Amino acid sequence: MEPAAGAVAGVEELRVENLAKRFGGLRVLEGISFALAPGDLLGVIGPNGAGKTTLINVITGRTPPSGGRILLGGQDITGRPTHAVSRLGVVRSFQQTNTFKAASVRENVSRALRFSGGAGPQGWARVAPLLDAFGLAPRLGEQSDKLPYGLQKMLGLTLAYAANPKVLLLDEPAAGLERSERTRVDEFVRHVRACGCSVLIVEHDMDLVRRLCPRIIVLDAGVVLAEGPPAEVLARQDVIAAYVGADAAGDEAA
Amino acid sequence: MEARSPSRWGAQEWAAVAMFLAVLAVPWATDDLLVQSIVNRVLIGAMAALSVFIMLRMDLLSFATPAFMALGGYAAVLLTMHGVTEVLLIVPASFLVPALVALPLGALVLRLRGVYFVLVTFVLTEILQLVLFMTPRLTGGADGLAGFPAPTLLGTELSDARSVLALAAAMALLAAVITAALTAHFRQHFAAIEENEVLAESLGLVVWRYKAMGFVVAAGIAGMAGFSLGNMLLTVHPTSFGAQQAVDTIVYAIIGGRGSILGPIAGASLLVTVSDFLGNQGQYAQGLFGLLLILVTLVARGGIAGAVAALARRLRAPRAAAGPAAAAPEAARGGA
Repeated sequence: MEPAAGAVAGVEELRVENLAKRFGGLRVLEGISFALAPGDLLGVIGPNGAGKTTLINVITGRTPPSGGRILLGGQDITGRPTHAVSRLGVVRSFQQTNTFKAASVRENVSRALRFSGGAGPQGWARVAPLLDAFGLAPRLGEQSDKLPYGLQKMLGLTLAYAANPKVLLLDEPAAGLERSERTRVDEFVRHVRACGCSVLIVEHDMDLVRRLCPRIIVLDAGVVLAEGPPAEVLARQDVIAAYVGADAAGDEAA
Repeated sequence: MEARSPSRWGAQEWAAVAMFLAVLAVPWATDDLLVQSIVNRVLIGAMAALSVFIMLRMDLLSFATPAFMALGGYAAVLLTMHGVTEVLLIVPASFLVPALVALPLGALVLRLRGVYFVLVTFVLTEILQLVLFMTPRLTGGADGLAGFPAPTLLGTELSDARSVLALAAAMALLAAVITAALTAHFRQHFAAIEENEVLAESLGLVVWRYKAMGFVVAAGIAGMAGFSLGNMLLTVHPTSFGAQQAVDTIVYAIIGGRGSILGPIAGASLLVTVSDFLGNQGQYAQGLFGLLLILVTLVARGGIAGAVAALARRLRAPRAAAGPAAAAPEAARGGA
């Protein structure tokens, strides 16, 4: 497959080539290729079980691929352990709220900065705008699992950004958020892109995808079903059949 | 905005070290052999429980403590039998031998989590006990090793009851200092692994490195406890290092409180003393441990140390509206 539009050859940050993942006889991902330029944003959608989270797991080294390559700034990072991939600049967020539950907001951020090698005033200065924007700044002393769910989720995103990523992989950042809270995800994505960070976003909220993503890929049963601007892709009959129809109904119910 | 320096010792670390410093005076404060014997066993139990505590800081429940105790104990005793009696050599050896064994072992077992780690460490203890029984030429087999020369300090023999206790107290002090230094220096790292290992790793923490470090140090501290036990009993024997001892040390750490270094010390002090008073009715001690364990699990997850910390916080801020309610969950983890 050709590299996706938007990634200019030579300056791309993340490049995924022909990625495959099989669990025994089960094909979870097959022939996945795309590229992200610095500051680029790619949406990944698809029905449950399409392989979206597995894609993030494979890129971040949680589980090794069965085939294909992952390049970061031209460097092959395929199969490296999670901490090494993270230190090189590919950091993920998680679907469920993911913080250090017993620790305060301050300790959470401090750990993210320290573990990624960025402890110190510069690190704090980098995340301060996000802490302010999400209303976390006045709650630094609070235990993270005592925060409202929406704030825990935003803290999780802030931690991922605190780890100083070049590429952020967001796994359903809006899941579980109230509609009114979802604009915070927009704010987050805009902020990190403005800082030169590339973003891959796996999301079920179609409004958010349409709003944010200049281009998307649709995964179905582990393969890329469609790719392009959301308006175009989401209008395709095969995409609607595979995904949008079912989820649009589910989305309304939620 | 930044959190406090990660490596700073808290009140609990200082208190733990101060307690063992004070115990150094006990051999000279009393000639009562019963008291000396109980204190000696408390010190050994506390050392073993500190070893368990280190692993619990990373949410790993280790049954391998007796195996490392055996390695340390047999290594030290074998050294004395081969003419090396200087404690300045055999104490480090009792630490280093199990620590060096733990290093490659850790590469195998530290991949495991939860119940699988528990099971594999349990099996390690069983296997080592079997090895001790099966190697009579080296370890005395079912007879164990006895009649070995007393350790010496710069040529002075440490064979009387007072010296034996003083040596145990010195080793326990060393174990407490090492444990405090390790757990305070890596407090945030260990806590992150305990609370959310997957997140810590994805933020760039090299989790296996900290687990390996903890495992190696925990093994070394268990080894000193093993030597201390052999030195007190004047014998090392496979039955001293079985699964039952693993259960006991875990019970000390959990009933005492897994959230604070004072927990394992409090647990060992209380439970060793109580089981001594129950004397011949040893089975009652086991029953009592079981009951206490249920009690701690149900009402005081932070164990004795956690409950005391919660109480102290409650007394300190009796009128703060949110005080006790907010303090309770934190205290349940030992107020770390």
